[in-house]
Amino acid sequence: MKSGNIQVRNKLGLHARSAAQLVRVASGFESEIKLINGAKSANAKGIMGLMVLAATQGTELELRIEGPDETIAYETIQQLFDSRFGEDE
Amino acid sequence: MILLQGSGVGSGIAIGTAFVADTAAVETPFKFIEHDRLAAEVELLDLALKRTAETLRKTRAEVPEDAPHEIAAFLEAHVLMVEDATLREETVNIVYRESVSAETALMIHRDDLIKVFESMEDEYLRSKKDDVSQVISQIHRQLLVLKGEDDNRTEQDLSEYIVVAHELTPADTVLFTNLEMRGFVTNLGSRISHVAILARSLKIPAVVGLHGEVRHIPHGAIVAVDSHSGQVIVNPDEQTLEELTLRHQEYDRQHQRLLAIRHLNSITLDEHEVTLLANVELPSEIDTALESGASGVGLYRTEYLFMNREQSPSEEEQYESYRQVVQALNSVTIRTLDLGADKQVDGGRRQGKVATNPALGVRAVRFCLRSPDMFRTQLRAILRAAVYGKVQCMIPMLSNLEELAQVKATVARVANDLRKENIEHNSTVPIGGMIEVPAAAITADQFAQHLDFLSIGTNDLIQYTLAIDRVDDEVNYLYDPLHPSVLTLVKYTIDAGRKFDKPVSLCGEMASDSNYTRLLLGMGLRIFSMDPAALLEVKQVVMSSSVEQVVGHVSEIINCQNSLKRLELLEQLNRMDSTGRSAEAFA
Repeated sequence: MKSGNIQVRNKLGLHARSAAQLVRVASGFESEIKLINGAKSANAKGIMGLMVLAATQGTELELRIEGPDETIAYETIQQLFDSRFGEDE
Repeated sequence: MILLQGSGVGSGIAIGTAFVADTAAVETPFKFIEHDRLAAEVELLDLALKRTAETLRKTRAEVPEDAPHEIAAFLEAHVLMVEDATLREETVNIVYRESVSAETALMIHRDDLIKVFESMEDEYLRSKKDDVSQVISQIHRQLLVLKGEDDNRTEQDLSEYIVVAHELTPADTVLFTNLEMRGFVTNLGSRISHVAILARSLKIPAVVGLHGEVRHIPHGAIVAVDSHSGQVIVNPDEQTLEELTLRHQEYDRQHQRLLAIRHLNSITLDEHEVTLLANVELPSEIDTALESGASGVGLYRTEYLFMNREQSPSEEEQYESYRQVVQALNSVTIRTLDLGADKQVDGGRRQGKVATNPALGVRAVRFCLRSPDMFRTQLRAILRAAVYGKVQCMIPMLSNLEELAQVKATVARVANDLRKENIEHNSTVPIGGMIEVPAAAITADQFAQHLDFLSIGTNDLIQYTLAIDRVDDEVNYLYDPLHPSVLTLVKYTIDAGRKFDKPVSLCGEMASDSNYTRLLLGMGLRIFSMDPAALLEVKQVVMSSSVEQVVGHVSEIINCQNSLKRLELLEQLNRMDSTGRSAEAFA
């Protein structure tokens, strides 16, 4: 299993559109991918759960990935967060 | 017969039967189900989920190409919500746990989700509960259709109908258009909200922003929608219907007639040259402006670029949009952002939540000066686009000279940055200001000394001078462009510009109304910027007026103390023929 903390950098946080992007990326991997914000945890392959995480700009999330492609999945998702989901700020 | 007034969008008129679409959240009675039938409920839920996703995908594919890209992005997010495994899982759990019908379970789950969203601190994320609620309503409706408890509205032929709704989502609008609705009417929305933009790209007549009046339209009533006047007529009588049809034909005929003067110079009978410019908001209006024969754009509103989206447009996106307008119309006055922090979302939905009186709050130049990054980005895009033609930059809502000094310093810094970065730009773009706050009008001679040009924004000037909120129906009757205070301020501003040799234009609705053309000519106005649809009509009045003849009647109208008498005097002024005689003697 791979796990670590990632930060939400884009201004609007994990909202419908950025969450949709994450779902699309996450669904491409076989591994089980979880994001955890305090007491709330969400499957990264489902948009509702991600939106319910209420992850605003600056939130630290725990990313937990378990499965055959966990390393590449972790890197890809890390990059997606770092690129602020392609948003300007 | 009932007459309702809203904002007309799209094109033409439509007459049809009212189809009251319940697009608001669906509520159904709580329904328990026998244990042995729960599996069947789950099967129906799966089918409903599948069909809803299919419908959304189909709608997504049919979004017109020139619609804002955000609309497609929203629809894509909605598809993912419908297909979200946890949405199904949770709903199925509720079905078995509570022994309830699929739609009852869906309702319970929706309410749970909404509660979670409502407890979020971030306002933006909190507003996403609307998406969740819209998506679940669609699944819910699909379930009712499957159970035969709802006529299948999503597949009904609407070719005889006008859709009437509290609110239409972009998805609804595309869907109903594919079912060939004749037009639509909504409570929410404004000229620049999603649905209005869609109505324009889909070329269907609509009236939006009826502020709750939609409740006066019963299902099955005959409804006439006039996109020119923004009027909705419920159960019109024969005569009204006939009038409306005639009026529509008259619009067309008059338009044809007016096209004949398109290429003529706009010059008065006594040879005063008058500049007629177009107000432009959407890229699609560039064509209308060109067709009207406008000699340029006197007011290019940039708000649409910032509306209906989650983040400010990038410098490149703005630059491309501005360049497109400058290249098409050569002379363009670009107004910097005239929005407040409270209005950067789809019209009507969140407005008024932030400030109780947004018209007097942080908006326009106040907002820009507080958002320096956003403001600099816009100014950079403007200076860069200014390479392609004659560009002026106009600042809205100035109320003191310090704001102007700050703006000028920002422009200078931006120009300097661009120079250092070796990016092609024009650093000599004239900086003008909107005169729309009474404080600015009263000190117009001070502003005229520091601005390169002035533009009178009568809509706000009237609202601020008379202390009336134009969207408040209760005080609307007090709105009077001919009020002596308003005319005095307009005249004073025109005079100040003349004194300091600075061009003065007028870009409010008064410029688009040909009833005021002569009066304004008499007051010394020579630059009119207006809705391109009104331009030829105003031109016709300019060409049939003599400044010399009207100028003598101006002070009489400004000083008249009776509002009815003022209207009468204005009418006489407008009736004067080329010899200066009115049908009746001038009082």
